[in-house]
Amino acid sequence: MKDTFTMDCPQPRLLDETHQGVIGTGMDRPDGPQKVSGTAPYTADNPTEGVAHGALVRATVTRGRVAGIDRASIANLPGVIDVITDPRMTRNPAQGMAGEAPVQPGDAVHYHGQPIALVVAETFEAARDAAQRLKVTYTTENAAVTPENGEHEVGEPDAAGDFQRAFDSAEVQLDREYTTPSQVSAAMEPHAAIAEWKGNEVTLRAAQQMVRFNKAELADTLGIDESQVRILSPFVGGGFGSKLGLGPEAAAACIASQKLGRPVRVVMPRQTVFDCVLRRSETKQRVRLGATKDGRLTAISHDDQVSNLDGEGFAEPTSQASQFLYGADGLSFTQTVARIAATPAGSVRAPGEAVGMLAFESAVDELAQELGMDPLELRLKNIPATHPLDGRPYSVRRLADCLTGGAERFGWKDRAVKREGDWLVGMGMASAARSNMLVKSAARVRLTGDRAVVETDMTDIGTGTYAILAQITAEMLGLPPAQVEVRLGDSDLPGASGSGGSFGANSAGSATFLAAKDLRGQIAERLGCAVDDLTLQDGRARGANREVALSELVEAELTAEATIEAGETAETHFSSGFGAHFAEVAVNEWTGEVRVRRMLGVMAMGRILNEKTARSQAIGGMVWGIGGALTEEMVNDSRDGHVVTRDLANYHVAAHADVPRDMQVVFLEERDDWANPIQTKGIGELGISGAGAAVLNAIAHATGVRIYDFPATPDKVIAALEAKG
Amino acid sequence: MYSFDFARPTSVADAVAALGQEDAQALSGGQTLIPTLKQRLASPSVLVSLSAIADLKGVSAEGGTLSIGAGTTHATVAAEAGAYPALAELAGQIGDPAVRNRGTIGGSIANNDPSACYPAAALGSGATIVTNSREIAADDYFQGMFTTALEEGEIITAVRFPIPEKAAYIKFQQPASRFALVGVYVSKGAGGVRVAVTGASNDGVFRWSEAEAALAGDFSAGAVEGLAAPSGADMISDLHGSGDYRAHLVKVLTKRAVAKANG
Amino acid sequence: MKTTLTVNGEAHEVTHDPRRSLLDTLRDDLRLTGTKKGCDHGQCGACTVLLNGERVNSCLCLTAMHDGDEVTTIEGIGSPERLSALQKAFVEKDGYQCGFCTPGQIMSATAMLREISEGAPSYVSDDLEVPKLTDTEMAERMSGNLCRCSAYPLIREAIAMASEVSQ
Repeated sequence: MKDTFTMDCPQPRLLDETHQGVIGTGMDRPDGPQKVSGTAPYTADNPTEGVAHGALVRATVTRGRVAGIDRASIANLPGVIDVITDPRMTRNPAQGMAGEAPVQPGDAVHYHGQPIALVVAETFEAARDAAQRLKVTYTTENAAVTPENGEHEVGEPDAAGDFQRAFDSAEVQLDREYTTPSQVSAAMEPHAAIAEWKGNEVTLRAAQQMVRFNKAELADTLGIDESQVRILSPFVGGGFGSKLGLGPEAAAACIASQKLGRPVRVVMPRQTVFDCVLRRSETKQRVRLGATKDGRLTAISHDDQVSNLDGEGFAEPTSQASQFLYGADGLSFTQTVARIAATPAGSVRAPGEAVGMLAFESAVDELAQELGMDPLELRLKNIPATHPLDGRPYSVRRLADCLTGGAERFGWKDRAVKREGDWLVGMGMASAARSNMLVKSAARVRLTGDRAVVETDMTDIGTGTYAILAQITAEMLGLPPAQVEVRLGDSDLPGASGSGGSFGANSAGSATFLAAKDLRGQIAERLGCAVDDLTLQDGRARGANREVALSELVEAELTAEATIEAGETAETHFSSGFGAHFAEVAVNEWTGEVRVRRMLGVMAMGRILNEKTARSQAIGGMVWGIGGALTEEMVNDSRDGHVVTRDLANYHVAAHADVPRDMQVVFLEERDDWANPIQTKGIGELGISGAGAAVLNAIAHATGVRIYDFPATPDKVIAALEAKG
Repeated sequence: MYSFDFARPTSVADAVAALGQEDAQALSGGQTLIPTLKQRLASPSVLVSLSAIADLKGVSAEGGTLSIGAGTTHATVAAEAGAYPALAELAGQIGDPAVRNRGTIGGSIANNDPSACYPAAALGSGATIVTNSREIAADDYFQGMFTTALEEGEIITAVRFPIPEKAAYIKFQQPASRFALVGVYVSKGAGGVRVAVTGASNDGVFRWSEAEAALAGDFSAGAVEGLAAPSGADMISDLHGSGDYRAHLVKVLTKRAVAKANG
Repeated sequence: MKTTLTVNGEAHEVTHDPRRSLLDTLRDDLRLTGTKKGCDHGQCGACTVLLNGERVNSCLCLTAMHDGDEVTTIEGIGSPERLSALQKAFVEKDGYQCGFCTPGQIMSATAMLREISEGAPSYVSDDLEVPKLTDTEMAERMSGNLCRCSAYPLIREAIAMASEVSQ
């Protein structure tokens, strides 16, 4: 293994000097033809000879213990093989990057819907039926299921200056409370696992986002060595955080397969995905802003209350972006976590920003209104010189360019409330921000002649990994991308960051870049030139007055493996993607219905590796913004905490009809030399961060009323309009 | 899903016979019943599929009456009920296209979901529900949420709609399921004015008699303007909208439906 | 019980549990796994196939109801080497991300283009005689097919592109 490259200083822009000309282009995804023809193999698509079907049995009480499982109650059902209970079974998915087993509750029940056993049968139908018929008895205990009733853990504030003094003495004050409900990832592919043992080694095909971590989680769960575990996850039908950690279906499939000596498949029904995959916490947020009359922010506070189940370390980082978007004399951010007996909370696309910015950017907008100031101007006026809490310089930040450029493109200065029949039409905007990360990642590139292979356990959850790793390698080695094969999602390959936190392209992309860079050195050596004099293009190497086809120069395979991790630049500089969202909405004054007519996101997110897949990610995020603002709401029963909205007819994700054609995305040219050697920033989450606030601010512009309890469903809009009179 | 036996008769008589078995359940397009079975909210011993009975399918218009076979899909009604445009348009708004290609009018009317569209059309048109043994006026047929005048083993064979002079349906849909959050069907014809409301009431589809009275003398949106909306206390209040909001929509949509019916 | 189906032009007799859905028959008995199970309740459209030429949710069809019927799945539309115009357009326009809903979107769009060409109006059609392939029409007619990656505008661009190619 090569030494690990640590990101300790800004890096030169090699990808701007190479000659193949494929980096950044909107190349079609190489995996596209498989996806559109139904031949891309997602987990449950794999044919497995002799497979048995498992169905999770789930608790019907909120807290207590499983007192008895009456196996005889299903023994006579045709096709039933066994009921598996095991102390190694898990309560819920691991949190992202845990790298160790999730809670293994034994016979304890911690929330309604928790997996407590697995019924295995010869057919899916028999397993589904038997899992529901199985008679289970419980002893029960009382437990709080609402954040109001749960035990509150109040955190230490993140603060700078004296917020209270600054707020108390502010010329203009705004103090607002907002609420957001729980949300879910609802990836289209339900969680699935197929496990098969050979001797004391298990192969798990599973829908997972972070194979390197999942391998460690599975080994720890089963009490075996990582060398005995292989995980395959080459195609994942969406993740959005829900497949970060090893899920209970995967643990159960492995345990059952080991006991029965045959392969076992467990696919969660959609309702189970709602019940026992990590949700985004509901939030209660209080935003306080103080400003001078001419619009200089003097005080910023964003306190929040979120919830989680006991034993889960994750807390939705609600105020994350509020801590570095704008400056003030005093800033303070305090989080409270309420402990409740409900489906545990974890990462859902852009944890923190997705719901935190709904509130914070609504408050900033309302402050502008109180000041009689253009909300665009207020934001521009308060961009801080350095990080407001710790004084670090920003690596590269084009927030002002995004705001002004977006305003110009969207026609912001001409905004006026229009009436079109029953419809009130208005415009809103918000800043976008999502902090940028680099996570330890390794990749191997192999070159034989003019064909290269990239190998890493990185995943492609729809993000475009297959495309961008091919492009990076092709660019660095001077090959047409079609001559680069990318192999992903196999834990036997070098371990990558996995897909999460928008750091996948940064991390796995940089590792691939470094491995390819190593190969450039090896090629230069063969050619007899200095690596700085090497030109690679269209399968030919030039340097030292020679030009040779790679097919001749590299007859035997050349291999390079590289590992990267974050270093000193993460301490010295603050890196974040920035942007600006604009939305035009029409609000029906009689029904309260809100229709988004067009949106624009202008984003500066470092180097764009693939213009096409980047745009798709950004649009996807903006549509999630629409969902968060207008429709998405998970409801738990206030008595026993069970999930009420447990299917796609009750939890409304945006559909075609909710999304206008006019969804524009503009990427500003940017390089983040402090972030990583390919100068990129994360993309998938910046699109959502602030997008929903732009929609909500447009509603306020159109109607003159504000909603504080999100989503802004029609009944709330009508109630607010009626209250205004 | 509980286990069940399956029968697929080819005539109404055979279907009625098969439905005579204990805990037998008729299955039409299955767009509601199959998810219901998957959720274990029904446990029939035998499912009697009506899909192979040719006599139950088809749309025909004769002498001011539109007759629709119970096994006719929403898509077929949308395409072929041109003699009664408001009804065709309603059929074209049920669910999504895939559901419309399987779901049937008979299944919808037999189920009487409080948020379904067809019950509003049947009640709002003064339709006749034809079964294997009798004919039932819509006013007598709908008896509350998921409750109808159908006897055990009785199956709907057709629904007959008198074609009114004017009619229109306006639905405000629950965006995820596309069921009616509230839907209002108005008609003006030989039998007078009818205003049927679905999606709103705890008692299922109902006639808004105050609106009918007001519209009888003056069939215009303005005639509804002065009415108080029905009481929100009697309305469904759930995750998708409060009772007060639904009551508000009843009035808004009634005005729109009348305006639309008047062209 | 036994049911005979013609799938992508080929006749199959399958032996199955009465509870078996057409979706599970396609995926597990016939190993045509291009059709996806996203919700199993008719709420997502990932399992869309053509049944006797019309789009349906195969999860809401019991196999037992379809003796003698003809089914077309994504495998019957094109292969990676021989993509249909619609499939090519999805690749070119990036009308997907994770790809899980994509077979359903393409099956639904295949049927939609035919429905529009045959003049079937939707309730958003301005002109009841000759529906046009406007974005509003597509948005309404495709709303049974969810895409959580939210490629919606690009899916509709792809459909519009394929429609132009075929004309």
